[in-house]
Amino acid sequence: MINMELYKHTFKEIWKMLLIFATILTMYFIIIIYMFDPKLGAVLDEFTKALPEVMAMFGMVVSSTTLLGFLSTYLYGFLMLVFPMIFTIIVANRLIARHVDRGSMTYLLAAPVNRKTVAFTQMKVLATGIFLLVLYTMLIGIIASELSFPAELEIGKFVLLNIGVLSLHFFIGGISFLSSCIFNDTKKSVAFGAGIPALAYIIQMLANAGEKAENLKYITFFTLFNANELIAGKTTAIYQIVILFLAAIVLFVLGIIVFDRKDLHI
Amino acid sequence: MKVIEINGLTRDYGKGQGVFELSFTIEQGEVFGFLGPNGAGKTTAIRHLMGFLKPQIGKCTIEGFDCWKDSARIQKDLGYIPGEMAFFDGMTGMEFLNFTAKYRNLKDKKLMKDLINRFDLNPNGKLKKMSKGMKQKIGIVAAFMHDPNVLILDEPTSGLDPLMQNRFIDLINEEKKKSKTILMSSHMFEEVERTCHRVSIIKNGRLATIDSVDALKTAQIRKYIITFEDKLAAENFSKENIDIINISENHVTITVQNNIKEIISLMNKYPVTNISAPNLSLEEIFMKYYGGKDND
Repeated sequence: MINMELYKHTFKEIWKMLLIFATILTMYFIIIIYMFDPKLGAVLDEFTKALPEVMAMFGMVVSSTTLLGFLSTYLYGFLMLVFPMIFTIIVANRLIARHVDRGSMTYLLAAPVNRKTVAFTQMKVLATGIFLLVLYTMLIGIIASELSFPAELEIGKFVLLNIGVLSLHFFIGGISFLSSCIFNDTKKSVAFGAGIPALAYIIQMLANAGEKAENLKYITFFTLFNANELIAGKTTAIYQIVILFLAAIVLFVLGIIVFDRKDLHI
Repeated sequence: MKVIEINGLTRDYGKGQGVFELSFTIEQGEVFGFLGPNGAGKTTAIRHLMGFLKPQIGKCTIEGFDCWKDSARIQKDLGYIPGEMAFFDGMTGMEFLNFTAKYRNLKDKKLMKDLINRFDLNPNGKLKKMSKGMKQKIGIVAAFMHDPNVLILDEPTSGLDPLMQNRFIDLINEEKKKSKTILMSSHMFEEVERTCHRVSIIKNGRLATIDSVDALKTAQIRKYIITFEDKLAAENFSKENIDIINISENHVTITVQNNIKEIISLMNKYPVTNISAPNLSLEEIFMKYYGGKDND
């Protein structure tokens, strides 16, 4: 079901990008964790009270007086949503649509490897990439926290938060991968593969910001990843990330089926 | 034994594009030339054989396997040169060949090395920077290195210089001796003449004709452009009993088939200053011979 040679090749292709995104996030993690100060957190909470809409737009609502709340607000409200999302979108487009668009898919299919295997292998690379990026940043988060503020971080809840963000990005990966499988040219693949997640994110921002726009939260999948409720240990929040994870699998399978059955003009 | 079989294949893209009710078979050990003008449907037919496209109507099989459903099985024993070379980014030629070998689970690289030597290929440069001819050589090595029983070659010599074209023809003839089954699309008369048993021509998505190469050779038509001293002489000459294609100023273009002596004696009567024989494309020869009117 998986072709190791293709897996290695594609992984090598995305390796540098993974490194770049990991580096950027490392930088942010270290700086933001270093900035944590329960007193500063209280000040920021004042900010939140003064400008609730603006802060909420960027997902900054939880009290920042605990380290976990602080990280959840300042890393998992914006940075850990947007950066892995960009990584996912770029990689997903490369996996299938770019090969079809350029014609290099010819060489992947002019070999005794069936289409399902090609698509599944490429999907595995994406899943591995997302997993490594989230796992790595989680470890950085834990290490940096322990070094700066020993025993301050509630690691169990932090891990749960990361499982949530992982499910969310698998789901985004599912959308982009499906789009990569459906469309034969890169432009359309990117338009949908990047457009849908980006639009969903913007809707989420609007829904966070205003009372009037609050109902918008029902039309964006970002709602399913609720960092605050997740670290509060609410079961609905856990069900929601399970839903995201299962939906991601459905999208990946759908992508493989679409690619297996479609006509290729290569 | 029938190795490649296309049976009633139809794919209608609308506006007369596509292939329609296409049927032919290629026997084990046969080299089959596949010709036709651009946009005639050659590549569409080949894409069906490769399992890239699903037939709307009809069926294609290779070695008894369905080209759409069992494509991966067929590919075990098939070598393919695509009409357009598109490789992966950033690889060198050698990296690409090694990747393809491993991807195919091919362990014996002796044939790969032989082919690299045969075509004087230096595969160590980046694919992106290679000339068209170099890329074509990489494509040839990739198609032949696993010693497949069936070969589908879409304009395999495009971009190659005459020396390399000859080496390619030698390669095909060796494969022919090994009783390989080969489908080859081409624009070069010499290439087809020197390799193929049978030739087919496809036009507007339909099979116009299939014939043996020998029949084609005896029917060979040549085209000449004769230049006269002045326009008047050209006009008088064109009144003779000959096949005229075109007259412009003092140039007359004629076609000749088995009656070259007559033409020579005719030309002696006129003030001829020059004579040249432009290459006739295979399609032109074919369409002339079979009386098909060029309506493109």
